[in-house]
Amino acid sequence: MANQKAFYFDASSCIGCKACQNACKDKYDLPLGVRWRRVFEYGGGNWLFIDGVESPNNVFKYFVSTACQHCANPVCRDVCPAAAITKRADGIVLIDPEKCIGCRYCQWACPYGAPQFNEETKVMTKCTFCADLQDQGLKPACVDACVMRCLDIGDYDELRNRYGSVADIEPLPTGNITHPSLVITPHKHAEPSGQGTGSILSLPEEV
Amino acid sequence: MNARDWALITFTILVQMSVGSIWVLGVAHFFAARKYGNEEADRLSDRALLALVPVIVLAFIASLLHLGNPFNAYRAVTNLGSSWLSREIFFGVIFAVLAFVFAFLQWRKFGPFVLRNVIAWLAALDGLVLVFSMSHIYMLPAEPAWNTWATPVSFFATTFLLGALAMGVAFVANYAYLQRKQADCAEAQCTLMREAMRWIAVAAVLLVGMELVVLPMYLVTVAGGSAAGLASVKLMAGTYGWVLALRVLLAFIGAGVFAMFLYRNAMSEGHEKMLGSLTYAAFIVVLVAEVLGRVLFYASHVRIGI
Repeated sequence: MANQKAFYFDASSCIGCKACQNACKDKYDLPLGVRWRRVFEYGGGNWLFIDGVESPNNVFKYFVSTACQHCANPVCRDVCPAAAITKRADGIVLIDPEKCIGCRYCQWACPYGAPQFNEETKVMTKCTFCADLQDQGLKPACVDACVMRCLDIGDYDELRNRYGSVADIEPLPTGNITHPSLVITPHKHAEPSGQGTGSILSLPEEV
Repeated sequence: MNARDWALITFTILVQMSVGSIWVLGVAHFFAARKYGNEEADRLSDRALLALVPVIVLAFIASLLHLGNPFNAYRAVTNLGSSWLSREIFFGVIFAVLAFVFAFLQWRKFGPFVLRNVIAWLAALDGLVLVFSMSHIYMLPAEPAWNTWATPVSFFATTFLLGALAMGVAFVANYAYLQRKQADCAEAQCTLMREAMRWIAVAAVLLVGMELVVLPMYLVTVAGGSAAGLASVKLMAGTYGWVLALRVLLAFIGAGVFAMFLYRNAMSEGHEKMLGSLTYAAFIVVLVAEVLGRVLFYASHVRIGI
């Protein structure tokens, strides 16, 4: 899609510090349980017993920082009965809290878990791509907070030309459903979506 | 299970029961009128029709309870172009309005017969579109436990199963009421009631048979489809295994065993009391079974992704 803003994430250098997650929570003063950006720890592999001693064999883990993917095919927008979700000309997908009826249907439809219910305002909320900052030419809070410089934004096509077309590594879902505006540099142990041998290691309360 | 899930369970079950009821009433009235004329047919079905009004009202009140911001509820029909939820509410409101208008006109015998008939047909047909829309709400690519043909099949099975047994209850209650009012009136009504109950029993046996055939096919399809699907089936058969077992058992008892007895007792005169008790029992047992089925539906879906 022409003129689509997108996230870039370098999974090969993310250390899982969650500075992005906290910067987002801080900027938007998100209540308990609402996390527009989340950092997943994914790992797997087996240990070998050699002479009665456990030795690491192919044990691996890596981190995936993820938010709303501002998809080319935003299923949340399509299913919303109140027409409260729109996609701007620059590709940013936004929920209008004035129009939302809080039915949480978008929560079922989105495989990225991006739309989340705010118990205080009683409507759905999600990553706004810091549209307010981007409109001033600035970068989103999560990107600026990343100490490893592994999070960035850019034009979707340009990011793909520079970094390739990977968008679906575990634990993210396959991109076939929503066509996420996401470009990933995979970790060397990254497993393709749907074919993972590992599991999410993060505590459920963390993500 | 939380309050929101119970709101959805109440709404979907009651709406489906109402749609099924309209169809059962229509069929019963048609055959009753052919045999004994419109007046006797009306006496069979008018009170049952009125009983649907509070059920539909209750369903829509329940639907509001799952919203975070019910004051915006009017906006729920603003995305008819792509949202099945919008379509459900749209056809749901039309169904409610048509059903209320029909019930009122029929009760007061306002307007020509043809007009009332047309409104009833529109309500019944709209009801089918409504249940169809309702099932498609859940057919999301990210929800493998819902995104199968079993969702519309089971929604329609619930529709006609509960519709048939709810109207069975209405018929036996109506008959008891008529008999109390004037003991001799009941000759034609007794025959009509018994015949309706026989067909209701047959429908119940067939529908529960279909449900019990669909269930294992559904479980196998979902379990083999994806990791999330397998996780759903593990929830259904493991954590909620007792709900599934109870649901199957009660459906079999209510719509299988009780319906068989219902059929036999409806064959000849003189068992009206027994017929009444059996009908109430069958309805309550099947209602619990269908509610448990819906509990399972909402409790066991596992979305793909994160």
